[in-house]
Amino acid sequence: MKRKSILSMALLLVVLFSAFPVNAQLVRLTYYYPVGVAGPLARVMNEYVEEFNALHPNIEVVPVYSGDYDPTMQKVQTAVRGGNPPDVFIVEISELPTLLAMNAIEPLDEFVTDEFLSDFFPAFLENGYSDGHIWGIPFQRSTPVFYWNKAHFEEAGLDPEKPPTTWDELREYAEKLTVRDPQTGEVIRWGVTISGGWNDWLFQCFVRQNGSKLIDYQERTAVFNSPEAVEALEFWVDLTQNLKVAPPHSTWASTPPDFVAGRTSMLYHSTGVLTFIMDSAQFDFGVGFLPGKVSYGAEVGGGNLFIGKGIPQERKEAAWKFIEFLTTPEMAARWSRDSGYVATRKSAYEVPEMVEYTNENPEYLVARDQLQYAAGKMMSPAFQRVREILKTALDEATAGRTTPKAALDQAQTQINRLLGQWLQQ
Amino acid sequence: MSSSRLNLTKTRPYLYLVPSLALLSVFTYFPILYSTYLSFFRQNVFTLEPVFDWFANYAAVFEEPVFKIVVRNTVVYALGTIPITMFLALLMAILLNEQLGWIRDIYRVACFYPTMIPMAAAGMLAVWLFNPGIGLINHYLKMFGVPTIEWLYDMKWALPAIMLTAIWKNFGYFMLIYLAGLQNIPGELYESASIEGCGFWSRLRYITLPLLGPTTVFVVIQGIITSFQVFDLVYVMTQGGPADRTNVFVYYIYQNAFRFWDFGQASALTVMFVIVLLILVFILTRFMERRVHYEV
Repeated sequence: MKRKSILSMALLLVVLFSAFPVNAQLVRLTYYYPVGVAGPLARVMNEYVEEFNALHPNIEVVPVYSGDYDPTMQKVQTAVRGGNPPDVFIVEISELPTLLAMNAIEPLDEFVTDEFLSDFFPAFLENGYSDGHIWGIPFQRSTPVFYWNKAHFEEAGLDPEKPPTTWDELREYAEKLTVRDPQTGEVIRWGVTISGGWNDWLFQCFVRQNGSKLIDYQERTAVFNSPEAVEALEFWVDLTQNLKVAPPHSTWASTPPDFVAGRTSMLYHSTGVLTFIMDSAQFDFGVGFLPGKVSYGAEVGGGNLFIGKGIPQERKEAAWKFIEFLTTPEMAARWSRDSGYVATRKSAYEVPEMVEYTNENPEYLVARDQLQYAAGKMMSPAFQRVREILKTALDEATAGRTTPKAALDQAQTQINRLLGQWLQQ
Repeated sequence: MSSSRLNLTKTRPYLYLVPSLALLSVFTYFPILYSTYLSFFRQNVFTLEPVFDWFANYAAVFEEPVFKIVVRNTVVYALGTIPITMFLALLMAILLNEQLGWIRDIYRVACFYPTMIPMAAAGMLAVWLFNPGIGLINHYLKMFGVPTIEWLYDMKWALPAIMLTAIWKNFGYFMLIYLAGLQNIPGELYESASIEGCGFWSRLRYITLPLLGPTTVFVVIQGIITSFQVFDLVYVMTQGGPADRTNVFVYYIYQNAFRFWDFGQASALTVMFVIVLLILVFILTRFMERRVHYEV
């Protein structure tokens, strides 16, 4: 008995010590990353990390797959509170103010050069800045795009090569595309689906198209019940309640399968599902800009790379090397091809493999071309709560429970109470 | 010698309790006390260092319009799932306690298997079953001429869909407990009852149900605790939406703590939750103990 326990103690010690780096020179980095599509992309990411480690014998990056965006943010937050932040991590871009409030990240000014930054698409950089410093580097980035079913267009007598370009056209097309059961009048096929779950993000795009925005982070203003926003929500209610050509609610994960199954003819969703739709749709489909109102408009999305607060200088430098490695034009182009995200840098689209790839699949260029009309994503401290408040207002209005004006007024009251401190400063 | 022996017999029971007491202290009692302590501090993304603020967090809870919806959802969920789950569990237990040969074993397995599926997997499965366009449930309903129900996308139907999933998932477990209870009832009672000429129904009414009393107390309390604690299904199936119509108490606590990063308010909610549960269980045990036959 005694001998056994001594043996197991010894074993335990061996295991414990082998967990520490044997080579004192080796810089070990913890790297938290989320990916939307679990299996395949996690494998791709591990491949990148292995390549980096092979190129840098004195640095070892330890990748930690941390689930979706929310669980990743939670892991970062708990690690920061525990005094042991990850060295490098990717979280959703709108988390920047929360990360700053928690004192969780290092500014990256000492590492970036104007030349480095000038190659990134400006809309992608916007969410990286706060208080005159840069904190996050664009990595997996997306924007919403517009998908349409060409077969349905033909059926309804519409030109399958011409998607709607304005809200009015969208409404008109949606009415033509909606199919109802002749006896019960029940909708069999929706004209258009504005996906739920991240409908707050899509709503921001509509407000942009109408020439306004909900939150100006740099100016510290938040206006949710502006006439432009109310008009945008009225348009949604028109589609879902008055005309009944769009489903009032849905979830983010369920609408791409709905589109592929032909249950809806037009779809608002992230460019991130393009690969899924391409692989599964049994019909011709198109990818286009989101229809505009005053102008085209979209807000970017996705995740940025951050460096954890207070790590030793040598680890910080190693972390930056890793960030540089992940964001070279070649890697940006490769990640875009592997994942379907938009490549974050202009020169990534000049990489030969990427040129060849986009020639074969021009659909992948739509999101990039839409970037000229796109802006940074809405962000603020307590962003998750702001999101919930906005989503509730949108859901209540599209369900016909309250008017768009009343829903957004209510949201404004809640936002004022929540962000009062921040807005006044 | 004899006195130390006596001491040992007195202290021994407490010694046996030490391991579980230690675990409970570390993982249950200490967190409860610490949450209570935290609930008096304002601590969120604007005030990272906790600031003592009396009952401000408790007051803030009632200011949130969502809180009312959350309480209503939780109560509806509990009142909707517990009686149906219990009834189904009891019914199946009684039926499957009869002599039906090998068919009985197959049915027992069939009723119990949802319990063995991990909750998250069951939730994912349900998401597909309830899909309005391609889900099996609407497919079958359509055969009976029921118009399309949007289930998880619909403010009215999302919570019932989660409740149905929970009933399907949980009744097997309670059935098993009822089966155990049924097998504790001595066979002589039924024998003498049939000699006296009692039919199935009077045996059920005067022997089975009364003697299942202690089991029922356990099932009710267990049912209340599990239904108040529902989280996984909501997290997987709806994330509380649409418009918070499936947001329940524990999910709301999670949102406040880990999504909104408002630890003060989350702690206040937790304390309220513990108090409500304690009161409920206390009343129930008091009320039901009086009506239960523990001895034959």
